[in-house]
Formats: sequence, C-alpha cells, structure tokens
Amino acid sequence: METNKTDNLLKTFFSENKQEIPDNGFSRLVMAKIPEQTDHSWIVWIFAVTGLAISMYFGISFGIFQYVQVIFEKIPIIYLIGGIFFFPLIGTAGYYIVLDKRFQLI
Amino acid sequence: MMNNTDDIRWVTQLTLLGDKTAFDKLTQKYQSPIRRFFLNLTVGDTQLSDDLAQETFIKAYLNINSFKGISGFSTWLYRIAYNVYYDSVRARKYYADINEQVIDNQHQMQNEFSTEKMDIYKALNLLRKEEQTAVLLFYMEDKTHNEIAKIMNCPLGTVKTYILKGKEKLGVYLNKNGYGNEQN
Repeated sequence: METNKTDNLLKTFFSENKQEIPDNGFSRLVMAKIPEQTDHSWIVWIFAVTGLAISMYFGISFGIFQYVQVIFEKIPIIYLIGGIFFFPLIGTAGYYIVLDKRFQLI
Repeated sequence: MMNNTDDIRWVTQLTLLGDKTAFDKLTQKYQSPIRRFFLNLTVGDTQLSDDLAQETFIKAYLNINSFKGISGFSTWLYRIAYNVYYDSVRARKYYADINEQVIDNQHQMQNEFSTEKMDIYKALNLLRKEEQTAVLLFYMEDKTHNEIAKIMNCPLGTVKTYILKGKEKLGVYLNKNGYGNEQN
C-alpha cells in the first residue's frame, strides 16, 4: 500500500518535471559534426575480381577444377550439407563475439 | 509511445542507401529525450548535457551498422548515451568534486531549464549514480525494467533493486518536502 503510494508520488513528481527540450539548432549542429565517411568498398571488389581471375586461370590451365570436382564427388553428401548449414551459424557467432560489446545484441 | 516503424525505416535508409537525412530525422526525434536524460544526470548542466548528447548521436551514426533491431532504436540509443555518460564521469571524475551548493549557485544562473527544477536535481542528488540512471529511465523516460537492464547492461534483479532503493530515498525526500501532502 505504502509502496504504491510512493510509486504514484514519484510518477506524479517526474511527470511534472518532464520537460520537452526544443531543438534550437541542436540537430543541425549534430549533422554538421558528423564525419564524412569515405567509401572504400571498391578495394573489396578489386581483390575479389583479381582473385577470381587468378583462380579461373589456374583452374582452367592446370585442370584444378576437374581435380576439385573429383574430391567433392568423394565427400559424403551429409558432410557437404552439414558444412553449408554450420558455416553461417559459426560465422554469425564469431561476428557477435568480435563486435564491440557496447553496441552488441540490442 | 514512440513509433518504432519510422525508426526502422530511417535506420534502413541510412545503412543501405547512406541517406543522411534519415539520420537527421532520428536526431530530431530523439534529441529531446536524450538531452533531458543527460540534463537530469548532470543535475542541470546544459552545456555538458548537450556535449554528451552530441557525442551520443555521433557515436550512434558511426556505429549504426551494429544496431540489430533486437531491441528498439530508442533502447540502443539510450545504451550509447549511458556509456557516453559513464565514460565522461570516469574521465572527468565529475561528480567526485561536486557538492549541492556548487550546483545551486552554478546552474541556477546559467541553465534556462533549471530554475524551476531545483527540487528534482536535489532529489536526484540523493541517489547513487546507478540509482539515478535507473530511476530516471523508469519514471521519466518510461522504460521497462527489461529495457533498463539492456541499457545498463546489468541483470534484471539489479535494476529492480536500484529502482526500489531510489524509490525509497526519493519517497522520504518528497514527503519531507510536502509533495506527499499535495497529492492527498
């Protein structure tokens, strides 16, 4: 009973003291201070295309693709399916572990 | 109650399209609650609270890709604000050197919001930092216990204890200052 009374008292007190603060240029100031972020994603594409070209060259020139195909044919299908399902799980778990805890999981 | 659908839409526009105006809208929407939160935590220091609020929004912008949408954007933003505030307290040892009289003299003059708000600052000053944060989030910012636990990154039971202790202390203070009588 007493706890409820205090609870109501606090609710009233805080709602009476709740103020809406006018923007007054605050948002504009924040936007002006936001650092420009240069997009470096093109580096990823250069490496990806180069890597793909090199692997295609060696794969075709030395018959590595056929060799890989033979290996894959010998792997039991259940291992392949398992790999496909587990890779995203392990990847996601690793991603969350590495992420800064301050911004994590919320 | 804040509209979460707008938040998700603006966050998506920002992360996928790099649309800065979307972040501007988020800033406009949350500037008041975040600045109020800091204003109360810093017992009325407008300059410091605005600096901390700016830092919070800039950090939110820089780490927007870390927002998973598991909790609302508001909870995520308060969590950043909470970390910014405690980093600031640690860095400045701000509260160790402050006493109530200094606050009265310093902020009554410089803070346009504080002249009528001294009672709330005096009341909040009776609480420990964690109690202040939990009480403000619960009673002023209408956050649930679960959301406060996420913001403060502590167990639910601890949050409830902070609120209970804060409530007891504030109850005594308010009754002593005639607030309880006004309500009856």
